[in-house]
Amino acid sequence: MSKSKIKYSSSKQFIEESRNELVLTEFEVLNAEATNFPGNHYGYDDTWTLEKFKKKLKINIIRIDNLEMEFDIIGVDPAVPNAFRRILLSDIPTMAFDRVFMFNNTSIIQDEVLAHRLGLIPLKADPRLFEFRREGDEEGTPEDTLEFELKVKCSWNPSRTKDHTNPEDLYRDFRVLTSHMKWIPLGGQKDLLNSDAVGPVYDDILIAKMRPGHELDIKLHALKGTGRDHAKFSPVATAFYRLLPQVKLLREVEGEAAERLQKCFSPGVIDLVDAPSGGGKKIAKVNDARYDICSRNVFRHEDLKEDTVKLTRARDHFIFYIESTGALPPEVLFVEAAKILSQKCRVFLDELKSGL
Amino acid sequence: MNAPPSFESFLLFEGEKKIVVEQDTKVPNAAIFTVNKEDHTLGNMIRCQLLKDPNVLFAGYKQPHPLEHKFILRIQSTPAYSPQDALMNAITDLISELSLLEERFRDAVREKREGLE
Repeated sequence: MSKSKIKYSSSKQFIEESRNELVLTEFEVLNAEATNFPGNHYGYDDTWTLEKFKKKLKINIIRIDNLEMEFDIIGVDPAVPNAFRRILLSDIPTMAFDRVFMFNNTSIIQDEVLAHRLGLIPLKADPRLFEFRREGDEEGTPEDTLEFELKVKCSWNPSRTKDHTNPEDLYRDFRVLTSHMKWIPLGGQKDLLNSDAVGPVYDDILIAKMRPGHELDIKLHALKGTGRDHAKFSPVATAFYRLLPQVKLLREVEGEAAERLQKCFSPGVIDLVDAPSGGGKKIAKVNDARYDICSRNVFRHEDLKEDTVKLTRARDHFIFYIESTGALPPEVLFVEAAKILSQKCRVFLDELKSGL
Repeated sequence: MNAPPSFESFLLFEGEKKIVVEQDTKVPNAAIFTVNKEDHTLGNMIRCQLLKDPNVLFAGYKQPHPLEHKFILRIQSTPAYSPQDALMNAITDLISELSLLEERFRDAVREKREGLE
């Protein structure tokens, strides 16, 4: 279905569609650019008012747990979810290892590589309880630093026999894991922070492998930072959004063609149901297009590509996903992002007011 | 190492102003705002909000270089009010938009959590 082949009954219908939907065709995506600006379409009032926004805005939480969430934001401009995404990735502070004091490292992993690996370990520690370390401060204070110690020495397993070949049986502590890390509370941190609430998010992250005689003796300082500075400070594994896919069947598809049609989409998008005419025939029916990946595979079939399906995406329906690294739950991250964003706006406004 | 200091992307330099306003001399009612230490996050959102104001004739922004932490916003408005007013209105609207969004989000999460228990 190329651009010229889409037929509209009226210009009204065309405008209506271009305002609400992106159309996926075989080779291009139509209506990609927003046109709903005041004065652009005759008969539409696109002026922004809070009342209109209140009416349009909807938020549905689809699933939520301590690490991941999926929710819908309906009725906003693409700039808003994108700002949230950018802030989630790079502007929300978290704690991560930033200073590594290497007293001894006789393992085969080099100091700088090891330091980098340590930096990437996700830490559970509420960054809101800490401050940024001041530039030039090397010592750190209990308000801005979490100190950890990693002291591991690999040795032979005394109960090994000659038949043993498995490293599990031959050595002790040959795998350095995050569970080897020990939190050392500074100052009053012991009373303020719960020892369960501080430490690596997972206990089984492999840091290095060693052999008998190898040793690690490291002191670590976790500091507060933002993803803008280094990706290790990013509080999310990923945060992204996509537009809601919509699939419309324009004619009845039955039998073998229906099965082929079903295979063109993600599982669960197309259902095969008994034809109303009976005779044991199956016809295709759209079940739920939400989780379609919009592959446009349907356009590979000559008999299905013309006037059979219409693939669109809703222009103002954003499916937002947040996958937290574990420092903060995803819903807290989103609220934090909202705070940072409105804070940025407030600073801007104050600056404008004072400048005039 | 020659890496620029990490604070360069969000802390203003000595004597640097957050916003510099410059009147556009070629067209009436137009101004160019240079905003330091901000990027597409705010730039795109403000531009988008400005476009929904019927009194704004033109609004556009650019980040001149990815290593320079600033964006340039150009606004032309109708004689009804100045570009500065348009910008202030847009940001005020954005703030109310964001607080509503946050409030709705909190409510939705609370409902979902209560439903799960």
